[in-house]
Amino acid sequence: MASITADQKTTKKVAGKDSAGAWWIVQAITGLLLILLLGLHMIAHHFVVEGGLRNFEEVIDYVSNPVIFVLEVLFLIVVTPHAMLGLQSIVMDLGPGESAARTITWVFRILTIVILAYGIWLAVALQNL
Amino acid sequence: MMAEQQVQFKVLRYKQGQASPTFQTFNLTVNEDTTVLVALQDIRRDQDPTLILRHSCHHASCGTCGMKINGQEQLSCVVKALDLGTQTVMVEPLDNLPLISDLVVDMNGFYDRYTTPEMMYLRESEFLTEADLPEGIEKWLRFENCVECGCCVSACPIAGSDAEYLGPAALAAAWRVVAEPRESNPQEALEWVDNEHGCWRCHAAFECSEVCPSDVDPAGAIMSLRGELTRRKFRRLFGRR
Amino acid sequence: MQEAGSMPDTVRPKRPLKSWFDVRHRKVGTWAFALNRLTGIGLSLYLIIHLVILSLLLQGEQGWNDFVTLVKSPFFLTLDVILLFGFLFHGLNGVRVGLVGMGIGVDNQRTLFWVLMAVGIVLLLAGAWLIFTL
Repeated sequence: MASITADQKTTKKVAGKDSAGAWWIVQAITGLLLILLLGLHMIAHHFVVEGGLRNFEEVIDYVSNPVIFVLEVLFLIVVTPHAMLGLQSIVMDLGPGESAARTITWVFRILTIVILAYGIWLAVALQNL
Repeated sequence: MMAEQQVQFKVLRYKQGQASPTFQTFNLTVNEDTTVLVALQDIRRDQDPTLILRHSCHHASCGTCGMKINGQEQLSCVVKALDLGTQTVMVEPLDNLPLISDLVVDMNGFYDRYTTPEMMYLRESEFLTEADLPEGIEKWLRFENCVECGCCVSACPIAGSDAEYLGPAALAAAWRVVAEPRESNPQEALEWVDNEHGCWRCHAAFECSEVCPSDVDPAGAIMSLRGELTRRKFRRLFGRR
Repeated sequence: MQEAGSMPDTVRPKRPLKSWFDVRHRKVGTWAFALNRLTGIGLSLYLIIHLVILSLLLQGEQGWNDFVTLVKSPFFLTLDVILLFGFLFHGLNGVRVGLVGMGIGVDNQRTLFWVLMAVGIVLLLAGAWLIFTL
């Protein structure tokens, strides 16, 4: 049965495909990884030590373990994009126009890089303490 | 004679030129069969003829009388005032659609968006095979569930912040094209929804499906679109087309 | 014919915060959306605060140990439990959003939500107990 709308097509406003779906999948995958990584992070830092939190010496000793260092950096690399993509999504929910959307995307990309850079620098700096 | 009761109807009023909408309270005697729509018509006839509202079929078939009743989107023609269980019944127009006056909203943008994909208004029969066909009829035809009432758009938290969002009704229509393309090309519908303000804008609140009076399940349709698009993206990523 | 969605509502301009967070008369899916959004914002802020606090370590032993003493107080331990709730809710509801958002388990999404919340409550209680007793 032919479509009723064939003759009555209104002006099509076809936005077409963009990368939103791909980024959502990234969000979902980082989220899934975080369940593991954050779980490990929480347990390691808050639930296994007597007293809950480590004092200065205990922290430095703990993070100088290369496995821990790698896990913490991995955690940072996964959580930072997830957080920034999430916040960006909230801003995009406000329906900004195309050019505003491009600016917003760049702001959050820069924020991601800044936070990652600081976090990794800090992790390295703690190795040298 | 049916038991009657006094009910207060607190109705949103707005006329062009007013600074902002206000509420007006009407007292009405209703019985257990009085629907909110009939109550509003009675108010209009006997108390305030300037109250404007839309209605047509009076049996949940046309989608014209969608409004918010005690904060929830419903078709007023099938909501009985006394079934609500409140002394005061709050009546407001649908959200997220431009307000023209009182309970009437501008549906143009809604309809425009809805007809952008090549929407089929008819779909293959889902009737039981046991249902006998009358003589001379080859097969059953069914109209789409969606009655274009706009309740889903009103209930959607994202339609409330993003004017660009395609919205549950249009997305559900796009899914129908993909699920049952017949002679049309579903690729066009998929591309239409595969963007920042299309199916990926949804955050799984599912309120649209909760309020839909017509079993469309727009949230399910949106997730089906996303499932289909996710599968295609992964297939493309791994080389298979 | 005007373009879809191009007519602005001058009478009732969009109010995003109300639209996202006024969950009266709404069902559990919308509550989950609102809480996911709130916890997401909270956790993002926490991420930044946490990184800033970790830089205390660079200032030496005294600064860090004083900080640890402070956050072992009941007030801060309570904040820790709230934080844990935030992680658990966001992560577990996130599982639902992730699955359903790819078209998986859509027909059972309400049940999925409550099952995940049940897991969350168990983990929250266990975590809260540990936070206060360790």
